[in-house]
Amino acid sequence: MPHLRFLAVRLASLLGLLLVLSFVLFFLQEVSGADPVAATIGGNASPEAVAAARERLGLDDPAPERYLSFVGGLVTGDLGTSFRTRRPVMDDISAYLPATLELVLVAFAAALVLGMLFAVSSMLRWRLSGLFRGLLFLGSTAPTFMLGIVGLIVFYKLLGWLPASGRGGVTGGPTGMTILDSLLAGDVGAAGDALAHVALPALALAVGPALAMGRVLRSSLTETLRSDHVRTATAKGLTEFQVLRRHVLRNSLDAALSMSALQLGFMFGGVLLIEGVFTWGGLGSYLSASLPVADFPAIAGVTFVLGGLYVVVNTVADVLQSVADPRISVS
Amino acid sequence: MTDVLVPADGRVGAGAGLPAPAGPAPRWRGGARRRSAGTDTTARRALDRTLIGLLLLVTVVAVLAPVLAPYDPVQPVGVPKLAPFADGHVLGTDQIGRDTLSRVLVGLRTSWLLALVVTTVGLLVGTVVGLVAGMAGGWVDAVLMRTTEVFLALPSMLVAVAVAAALGPGLANTFLAVTVVWWPYYARIIRGEVRGIMARPHVEAARMAGVGRLRVMRRHVLPGVVPTAVITASLDVGNVVMVLASLSFLGLGQPAPAPELGSDTSRGLVEILDAWWIPLVPGLVVMLLSLLSNLAGDAVRNRLAHRR
Amino acid sequence: MDVTASLLAEAPTPRDASRTDAPRAVGPVARLQGLDVSLERNGVRSQILHGIDLEIGRGEIVGVVGESGSGKSVMSMALLGLLPESSRPRIDGTLEVAGLDLSTASPQEVREARRTRLGVVFQDPMTSLNPTMHVGTQVAEKAGSREEAIRLMRAVGIPQPERRYGCYPHELSGGLRQRVMIAMAVAGDPELVVADEPTTALDVTVQAQVLALLAGMRDQLGCSLVFITHDLGVAAQVADRIVVMYKGRIVETGTTREVLESPRHPYTMGLLGSRLSLDCDRTRPLWALPAEAPGAGGSGSGCAFASRCRFAVEACTTTAPALTVLGDDPRSAHAAACLRAAELAGEASAPVLLPPLPPLAAPDRGAPVVQAADLECTFSVRDERGRRARLAALRGVTFDLQPGESVAIVGESGSGKSTLLRVAGGLERRFTGSLRGPRGTDVQMVFQDAGSSLTPWLTVREVLHERLPGGTPRDVREEKALAILDRVGLPAAVLDALPGELSGGQRQRVALARATIVPPQVLLCDEPTSALDVSVAATVLNLVNELRRDLGIAVMFVTHDLAVARIVGDRIAVMYLGRIVEVGRAEDVIAHPRHPYTRNLVAAVPQPGRTAEPLAGEPASALDPPTGCAFHPRCPVALPECASTVVGVQLAAVGDRPTSDVTLRHEVACVRRGES
Repeated sequence: MPHLRFLAVRLASLLGLLLVLSFVLFFLQEVSGADPVAATIGGNASPEAVAAARERLGLDDPAPERYLSFVGGLVTGDLGTSFRTRRPVMDDISAYLPATLELVLVAFAAALVLGMLFAVSSMLRWRLSGLFRGLLFLGSTAPTFMLGIVGLIVFYKLLGWLPASGRGGVTGGPTGMTILDSLLAGDVGAAGDALAHVALPALALAVGPALAMGRVLRSSLTETLRSDHVRTATAKGLTEFQVLRRHVLRNSLDAALSMSALQLGFMFGGVLLIEGVFTWGGLGSYLSASLPVADFPAIAGVTFVLGGLYVVVNTVADVLQSVADPRISVS
Repeated sequence: MTDVLVPADGRVGAGAGLPAPAGPAPRWRGGARRRSAGTDTTARRALDRTLIGLLLLVTVVAVLAPVLAPYDPVQPVGVPKLAPFADGHVLGTDQIGRDTLSRVLVGLRTSWLLALVVTTVGLLVGTVVGLVAGMAGGWVDAVLMRTTEVFLALPSMLVAVAVAAALGPGLANTFLAVTVVWWPYYARIIRGEVRGIMARPHVEAARMAGVGRLRVMRRHVLPGVVPTAVITASLDVGNVVMVLASLSFLGLGQPAPAPELGSDTSRGLVEILDAWWIPLVPGLVVMLLSLLSNLAGDAVRNRLAHRR
Repeated sequence: MDVTASLLAEAPTPRDASRTDAPRAVGPVARLQGLDVSLERNGVRSQILHGIDLEIGRGEIVGVVGESGSGKSVMSMALLGLLPESSRPRIDGTLEVAGLDLSTASPQEVREARRTRLGVVFQDPMTSLNPTMHVGTQVAEKAGSREEAIRLMRAVGIPQPERRYGCYPHELSGGLRQRVMIAMAVAGDPELVVADEPTTALDVTVQAQVLALLAGMRDQLGCSLVFITHDLGVAAQVADRIVVMYKGRIVETGTTREVLESPRHPYTMGLLGSRLSLDCDRTRPLWALPAEAPGAGGSGSGCAFASRCRFAVEACTTTAPALTVLGDDPRSAHAAACLRAAELAGEASAPVLLPPLPPLAAPDRGAPVVQAADLECTFSVRDERGRRARLAALRGVTFDLQPGESVAIVGESGSGKSTLLRVAGGLERRFTGSLRGPRGTDVQMVFQDAGSSLTPWLTVREVLHERLPGGTPRDVREEKALAILDRVGLPAAVLDALPGELSGGQRQRVALARATIVPPQVLLCDEPTSALDVSVAATVLNLVNELRRDLGIAVMFVTHDLAVARIVGDRIAVMYLGRIVEVGRAEDVIAHPRHPYTRNLVAAVPQPGRTAEPLAGEPASALDPPTGCAFHPRCPVALPECASTVVGVQLAAVGDRPTSDVTLRHEVACVRRGES
């Protein structure tokens, strides 16, 4: 088990990072010159109304105070009001977050499978697996949105196998994730429909991370297989399977685990690029819509939530790693 | 983001799996390697040279793009939505009748040259920070590296988007947004490499031989870092290309009429059903550019690894 | 010692139940006949073993000796069927091990043989154990059960095996780790255990323990042992029979006695002749096997050793000698592969004596060049469980070095000997106490690993020029560089070479050239020969001795090897856990060691014809030094007061010269120093 001290350090650095993130966003908000008053009460309001609004929003307070109230807002879930939707950013985010989570989770599962296939196939040299690895490499050099476009052209326009946009399945369910909601409602057909909708964007999102994870897994497997202690295990007369399971896999998991977490984190950024292509109603679409109108509260809110998820995922991976390798919490 | 920058700290695969007999220490080998360099053959050498040559050609094309472009990239010059090869437009025209080839050429210029600048500046900043941190050690190292770690612990793509959104559209702002999140990668890699070199007795030996601090850095540390820096940057420039295109795709690049690969793709997206080539062509160019720089990066790595 | 006795006491009835249905066959446990092995490396196939003929009898201990590149490790891996697949091994000839023909056996059969009939001990127990698995579990994997694993761990001398069962390898000391490896090797009661340099990574006193344990293993379990080593002296400690290998061939084999006392192959003679022992002639330069001429060997049809052989004749370059039984008795085990084996009996095998060294100038009785008093050096580190801890590297060292004098500092790992050197060289500034001595370029250092002490991308010329004071004209620099290269015995062509293009011995010569191109007052040497083959090491030691005589440099030479210390040191200082426990003239310390630790150190040096007496226990941890005399927990003659009394080095009482001359004094830090 990881030491308590190690857990405490990881937790403290997690909070520290969130604080830094909040500071960066606050700083950017200041730099951007976004004017919430003009955005909320309109450009033609009387000077008195503007002054009152500034007073109400605390805009004339000194910067440190404004930062404190910004952080206070983050802690209490008050992320301000979107200039564009005129609704609290928090409400918008909770409406769109489940769709994004669903997309990312499906994509991550796909990336795990593809990445393992990549590593295992290149170690065992399966026939035709070179083609698969080549395609994965080719795909990883394409920007995510590009993969989405190619996917649309091939699987929607030419083959007509998969839908082009929207989410399908049961809507308005308790979790907001349509596959899960459909299954909860006992509607397998709807779940299939939802899966068909998520397939293209998830695959487009998965290709790059799959390659990165596959490569790391492959190289750490290769390295472990070459190590002295695996030679010892072989010399003991263990079967190949026993050697793999007890002496290779666990020792190779380290690097692959942290790479997976990193890639899961990157996917929270990747949704910005893919949701728009498929009009997937998640945070990515919400953010892309906010960008052209410089809706900074929305931008900052989404960035904080997705960035926070990224940091949390990586911290969890760190802790898992220290469980896998007893040396880590020592160094 | 498909960010393939593996956070491996320059681990180099062991030699052939034989139980190496005790003997002279292995030759010094430098370089952060994403994959092992493999064996060096004549065919491999020729391929590597070809790839590096192609990338140089792309650079020349990018520089000369305004001259090479057959039409004005900003003005409509033909019937909208022409398919490729129709009417003398090799890559067709976009939704308001501008020549796609011309737009793609000029867009390539922006993307590629900006990627080079971002990589170079990021590398320079990263090298300076990494070198100072690695050589100074102590609290200087601690402060610089904690800062770097904070940057690395935040999602680069999201932060870049937030920075670009705060600064507003424009090339300079895009440059700033990407460079700000990019240098820490280099700083960490370079610092790791410097620490590795500093841990070798040859640095202490040089100090004992009466070599001054600056000279030790210049002669006994820096030359060991350069191959790593060059390899890292050349393997990474493809990622920069993609991030720049992604920002542009989100509308955070140059403002409207300017031709850019990412924004042209996103504006053409509405035509995907009847004129699919309009979004596809600029996107394909990004992909080819990133593919080529990835392969050429590998080629540079191979050549440097086998030079000694 | 008791470590082996426990094996006997704990062992259950020798042949356990699993073996009853498969009784041991009679005849040799391994039979190699005309064995050729070739491996592929970087796409190039090369033959590693050439026509090996070897039979290993039941219960026999065979020592396989050779320098790097002799193919001894490949042979050991071949015995276990462990040649890596990635090197595409090709095996021709007979390879029968434990009743199995390894060239035709199925993978299942080989695996079964490894599990029940074979065992292996590798050199580095740290990397050879799985870092993420409890050591006990790793033993149990082969032993079959937790109880059996604990029994084996106790049998190989691991204290508190129940508690150690759940430790990870990084939480154990080097000696304990190697014992875990041995427990694993003997699990399942094997017929044959292969030990590949099992003691090379260990401290001298621990090495003696492990050797005794391995030798005792045969007596208790009746298994055969193949013991691979580069050191004839170590092989002589345990082996019944010795096999000497050179370039993938067996060049001589015979009983340990035959090979040591009447070697018949010039290579064996060379190995014996260049082997350092406690009775080498200190007044002459060490004789060493000549290094291999570049590009020689391997090619052609002659004897592979011909180019280094001082007895080579014309025929040697054309005819490859076969391994031939010596003497008239065809059943004799003594055989050598040399055309002149018959002639080379007797005096030819006598050691070569080189002309004596010029006598040393009388040591300067003036002020010491280095004067250290009460040096203490403590580092803040993390212990094996990740807690903050203080590592006491030096715990009060007082020490003088006279001008032109050479002092060898001997100690095991953790003794603080390297820290003392680094403090003296100004590389380590975190110390308390007083230190007077030369600073800057007046003190130079030669490091253990010459390869990494030279900047990889700078040529030898650049390295040497850089050491000369600024403003020296280029032609003067060049002249001095050439002169020093000549002095260290390197050709001028080396000037343009990068370190990576030089051999290990050449690199160490370049390092010495850099250190002495401008003669310093003090030369510090940090185990400069420990990574080199014996013959190369001898030439480097000669060079150090020559340089200090010619240039009048004072030398501090750190080593773990008393035999090396005796060659280079006028005086020897023995360190244990951050303190000097004994210091005196080399001949006094070796011949009349006074401190119990020094006595054990002297006794632990592997010498042919003498069985080392292992000292129980391992060096105490510098993280938690015992109170009083740090050695008292291991000391065979400790008194109760040793746990509380700290004794500094003081003039040894009886029979020694009571003199004020520091270079003649014999000092010992022990409460019982007065007794003999």
